[in-house]
Amino acid sequence: MNIEKPKCKDVMQHICESLGEDLNSERCVAIKNHLDNCPDCKTYFDSVKITINLYKSYEVEMPTDTHKKLMNLLNLNDCE
Amino acid sequence: MEEKELVELAKAGDRKALATLVKNHEQTVYNFSFKICRDREKAENIMQETFLSMVKHLNQFDGNSRLSTWLYRIVSNHCLMQARKEKNKYFVSLNDNDDEDSELYVDKYVADWSRIPNSVAENNELKAILDNAIDKLAPDYRLVFLLRDVEGLSTEETAQATDLSIPAVKSRLHRARAFLRKEINQAFAK
Repeated sequence: MNIEKPKCKDVMQHICESLGEDLNSERCVAIKNHLDNCPDCKTYFDSVKITINLYKSYEVEMPTDTHKKLMNLLNLNDCE
Repeated sequence: MEEKELVELAKAGDRKALATLVKNHEQTVYNFSFKICRDREKAENIMQETFLSMVKHLNQFDGNSRLSTWLYRIVSNHCLMQARKEKNKYFVSLNDNDDEDSELYVDKYVADWSRIPNSVAENNELKAILDNAIDKLAPDYRLVFLLRDVEGLSTEETAQATDLSIPAVKSRLHRARAFLRKEINQAFAK
């Protein structure tokens, strides 16, 4: 699965997996049918997807100094 | 060299192999620690504690999971221990309760999500909104959301890392997602 751009099937798989259901289970098929025809649910799931992607995009770079301090602390500075 | 081989060499006392393992995982551990505590100094401390634990207990790592999963578990333990020390901190209640559950899914005002930037890059206002929202989540909910949705671990790996059952991971994940979405919605609906 492309994590950056999940396809509808990936999203369904994710929802059904979270529910503990197989993709072809009766419940999952009913959810898919509902999602296809419910703009409110579609908006909701789209916004959940955006929420997750926002947190994914929030990365921080480790400062070089932090790396050096760690190697010193572990007595591994001579192994660089 | 493969990770398994590096782990075996490090276990046998090869310091260069150990240094390589640390270097291979330090950015991931630092980033994950930051995502949990949203503070660079605390993230550095958690990262140091995590690698000290890794060096001390590497012989206990059985190699049945990825080393990163094992490290996520150590970070999670440190995070939960840290949270227990901050007893006075208030977290929102997200218990398994139908009334509270339905409130999570109802929006008083609806934001225009198409106008929300799709990345936090250089956007300090958006970063503050995300920090503020996740800071309200109890640590076990925060961990489950970050491990499963942000770091991409499987439900089983998330359960292992947090010592929660699989149903508990699933229910926490639903509520954490719904809560964060609601907070962002409210911030942008203002």
